[in-house]
Amino acid sequence: MDKKLVIPGEFLSDDPSQADEGTYVENNRVFSSVFGIASFNNGIRVVPMAGKYIPKPGDLIVGIIKEVTYSNWIVDIRSPYDGLLHISEIPRRIENDEMSKYLKIGESIMTLVSDVDANMKVELTLNDQRLRPIKEGRIIEVTPSKVPRFIGRSGSMIAMLKNETKCNIFIGQNGRIWITGKDKGMELAIKSLLKIEKETHIPGLTDRITKFIKEEKGEKVKVKVPEKKEESIEEGIEKNIEEEKTSSGGILDELLGDEK
Amino acid sequence: MSKPEKLIENGIRLDGRKPDELRPIKIEVGVLNRADGSCYFEFGGNKVIAAVYGPREVHPRHQQKSNSAVVRYRYNMASFSVEDRKRPGPDRRSIEVSKVSREALEPVIFQEYFPRSAIDIYVEVLQADAGTRTAGINAASIALADAGIPMKCLVSACAVGKIDGTLVLDLNKDEDNYGQADLPVAMTPDGNITLIQMDGNLTKDEFKEGLEMAKTGCMAIHEMQKAALMEKYSSQIEGENNE
Amino acid sequence: MSNEIIAELRKDYICNLMIKGEREDGRTFDQHRELTIETNVINKAEGSARVKLGNTQVVVGVKCQPGTPFPDTPDQGVIITNLELIPLASPVFESGPPREDAIELARVVDRGIRESQSVDLSKLCITPGEKVWMVFIDVHVLDDGGNIMDAASLGAVAALLTAKLPANRYDLGEDSPVPMRNVPVSVTAVEIGGSIMLDPSLDEESIAGTKLTVTSNQEGEVSAMQKSGIHPLTTEQINYIVDIAIEKGKEIREKFLVI
Repeated sequence: MDKKLVIPGEFLSDDPSQADEGTYVENNRVFSSVFGIASFNNGIRVVPMAGKYIPKPGDLIVGIIKEVTYSNWIVDIRSPYDGLLHISEIPRRIENDEMSKYLKIGESIMTLVSDVDANMKVELTLNDQRLRPIKEGRIIEVTPSKVPRFIGRSGSMIAMLKNETKCNIFIGQNGRIWITGKDKGMELAIKSLLKIEKETHIPGLTDRITKFIKEEKGEKVKVKVPEKKEESIEEGIEKNIEEEKTSSGGILDELLGDEK
Repeated sequence: MSKPEKLIENGIRLDGRKPDELRPIKIEVGVLNRADGSCYFEFGGNKVIAAVYGPREVHPRHQQKSNSAVVRYRYNMASFSVEDRKRPGPDRRSIEVSKVSREALEPVIFQEYFPRSAIDIYVEVLQADAGTRTAGINAASIALADAGIPMKCLVSACAVGKIDGTLVLDLNKDEDNYGQADLPVAMTPDGNITLIQMDGNLTKDEFKEGLEMAKTGCMAIHEMQKAALMEKYSSQIEGENNE
Repeated sequence: MSNEIIAELRKDYICNLMIKGEREDGRTFDQHRELTIETNVINKAEGSARVKLGNTQVVVGVKCQPGTPFPDTPDQGVIITNLELIPLASPVFESGPPREDAIELARVVDRGIRESQSVDLSKLCITPGEKVWMVFIDVHVLDDGGNIMDAASLGAVAALLTAKLPANRYDLGEDSPVPMRNVPVSVTAVEIGGSIMLDPSLDEESIAGTKLTVTSNQEGEVSAMQKSGIHPLTTEQINYIVDIAIEKGKEIREKFLVI
């Protein structure tokens, strides 16, 4: 069986050993616990169409500082639980009264969930060379449960997006996506990401997004140079964007390498 | 309107329905942008809108539960939803309705997945026409699913009443005002009853028969709830193919 | 009005667009979001309207019932405007009695209607000194997508234009329309970094230093104003907003609000 849209309580299987995320077992029968897409390969799981991010140790995420206390930054991580970044969890030593200079309310960070205890106290760290405050680019928000679709099978979707838009794209597990690049590339990347968000449940996603990007690029060039042939248009675009490429974000490449 | 001479004649009610017939139902899922999940539900002359926020932080903090989410339910009637303008804000009736409605939904929500958080359900009655609490529960149940909240199943609700000695499904306003009993029920698709209230007068046998009628009504509503949720995404799939 | 955290990066993005003369949703600075007004949506109300202004949604219901006039205006009806920022509409709204933001919104909506003399209060008198029509305007905010002020104000006027005095129900003769003689339209602008933008989205509203609402009547006169927010405005900015609010108000009135 393939994939299908199911509602909470929908019967999925008689084999409880197959039950995975998004399901529950009652009287040896497997039911969906969420409204989402059920898949039946390698166990039965249901990916919800919506929902909050629930932090797990080891998750790389994007947070926004919402409060600065005596020794902690309180970080919004799109979860029912705030993240805590302790003053000792940043790469350099600062005094308590300098905390707002280092990171102030409203600033974003690329951070790692280092621990989540039984009381759902979520500890974050920047003590890793991959992590840092985010000072440039754009951040958009998507449904956290859909993050794997943005990355694609062994990173195929994200690799395609990065290649086509010449942007660096970091997808946080909490559904915040950080994009850096030239304005046009970022616009295209964001349009594509929002299309993925809307259409995760429709089969053939990668092909459709690839087609969408080609069309978007084609349109823009056609306005500028209407007499050119299709092939040269593509080349023209590639060149255009190549020129716009920024030098920033080498770190992101490393990171994404890790994700794959 | 003063009391009609007869509320049911030759098995047909004043609004033309048969005894076991529901009023028309219209459902829209995801109607609000800010809320995590939402649903607009028309049930006869009732127009209600439900929004779900959460799981999210609990304020005030002392309401936190260390091993599960707290579920909060606020049923509120718009001032203009009834014949005589209602003063804004909660009254004793809406506080009671909020409590029993919350208890109708709590047993299906996997609250233990989200310790120390809150799941907030807000139901606003924009137009009232008998059966607002059941309309609210139907809407809230869909809004919870739309918000991605893990739950055992949806909850469906409707009322059974007695008019001129006949048991009928889903009372309208006149039947509610001048009938002899009103029995709102909420249940899961496998028949577990999560809300039951009654006022009026029923014999033991009438009650048992009425409960069976309510069950049939809830099953029908469950199918419509499911169809509405499916519709939210299937219409997009069609739209895509038409391009 | 919002106390949500808005990311610095988003602020920068919106401000940078602004410097280029652009807005996030592609509008020009003097352009409103898509507006739809649907009337007679609540049968139980004597008049009603559902307004969608971009992502902002409000439902307004008008209820009319006989009551006692104020002693100083014994021959005039009474208008009471109420607005609540219910928690359904935004993660930052809380249950409980209306706070200053909600009260300010209600009072500005009320002032536009009252000061433009849009409702002929003398025609709401039933028996001088004893009995007059009380007209309750209740604004129910369903979704806060920014600029609740204009959505509420447009909804209130649209609901009044369709409202009937239910005289029959109270044995006071035949039902008749609520006597309307003017159509006020409010237009709200925000100031961000020196630029003026009309009809702010939620993010624009949260970034803005200040808001100015200008309500104009059908003669093109200003009937009510409210500055809200801590950032000062220059005379030039205010004069500009007045000019454009009257012009845009006329467009909206002609398109959506006909007596």
